[in-house]
Amino acid sequence: MEESPSMDDHQDSSLVVGVGLCDSAPLLWRLQDLKTVRSLGLVGALLGSLPRTPRQNQRLGRPLLLLPEEEKLLRDEEAAGALPGQNQDVGGVELQRRFEEDQQRSFEEQSVLALEDRKSALLRAMTSSHTGSESGAEAVDEALRRRLEALDHSFTFPQSAMAVQLSTARAGLSYCPEARAHLQANWPIREQNSPRSDARCQVFRDLRGRGFFLTSAGKFGGDFLVYPGDPLRFHAHFIAVCLMLDESVCLLDVLAVARLGSNVKKTVLLCSPT
Amino acid sequence: MCDQTPNWILQHPAYQQMKDLEVGDSEQLHAAFLVYMDLTEVRRWKEVSCVKSPELQVVLLKAKEKEGASVQTIFPLPVHRSLSHRSIRQVLDRGFPVLLCAVAADSTLVYQRMTDGLVTPDPPAGPFQDVGRRQHRKRRQQH
Repeated sequence: MEESPSMDDHQDSSLVVGVGLCDSAPLLWRLQDLKTVRSLGLVGALLGSLPRTPRQNQRLGRPLLLLPEEEKLLRDEEAAGALPGQNQDVGGVELQRRFEEDQQRSFEEQSVLALEDRKSALLRAMTSSHTGSESGAEAVDEALRRRLEALDHSFTFPQSAMAVQLSTARAGLSYCPEARAHLQANWPIREQNSPRSDARCQVFRDLRGRGFFLTSAGKFGGDFLVYPGDPLRFHAHFIAVCLMLDESVCLLDVLAVARLGSNVKKTVLLCSPT
Repeated sequence: MCDQTPNWILQHPAYQQMKDLEVGDSEQLHAAFLVYMDLTEVRRWKEVSCVKSPELQVVLLKAKEKEGASVQTIFPLPVHRSLSHRSIRQVLDRGFPVLLCAVAADSTLVYQRMTDGLVTPDPPAGPFQDVGRRQHRKRRQQH
């Protein structure tokens, strides 16, 4: 990838995305990285829950999971670097301490308010039930005073009753440190190099190179779904099934996948590297 | 058919022709014959003939869907068999549109078109209407 000298530093640093590894899953967390990767024609799959619409999976949020083929493509074009793991985050300890302090302060404030609340409720209850009876007014006051004193001594505000505010707007994943390790040969080797995965990789590159967008086709029993353009604008045209040229497949399986394809209006592609 | 001789298939001239190709695969030969009968008698295709594929050692059929149409290759195969991508390619490389035909034990035939390259599927059939929110809400309530 040529870097033109006229581009400012912010722009050309965004051509390298930071890939965080969760076990062996390559994830992208930062918004800029997602944009970059989409501009390269790679789609990935969003996995995260959106804080304001949690209990559905029609619309998901970050992180973005990359296909092994997508990750490999980024790596080979030197467009991916490893993000350091979370426990290397130096600022984390400080953040946690501040959070706990805030929580404690909030708890104390809420305890006070809760007690006041209870007292005024008690007041309301006792005075309202004795309105209009002049003679008993003094006795009521006395009882009230005693009750309020008792409350002062015995009232406890349980931790579980505390209201906790969660800020969801732009809570952000901005805790990721800016520093990134550019990839070298010590990229963790996780892939199982089977002939099938090699076939998949070559097919992925070839179709991507022709301008198609590819996503995983697990729902259709194939390897990839092939879109003529961005999946947000088009339906997939093809279900790609990757195999070696001499790999033996059951005729029944060929018929099954072909029938499935015609039911969902997609052409099935048998793809093999030569 | 029970009043005919049970060996009518073996005595059929088309069967004899296919046998003479000597592919050495009697099961595939039988399958090819069943496809031949379907094409000629049921679907009434024209100029149905048989040819041997030296690479695959199978009987292939050549036929035209109707008079004046272009020749197609039909590849009959018993349904429990396997095949490779390479063998499909070899049939396609003959230069004609290919129909794969799976022949089941009960003589059921399933034809499958195989094409070279990336063929865009037919688009979904219209006319299309925006159903709107109310329709979606109705559908959800039905569950």
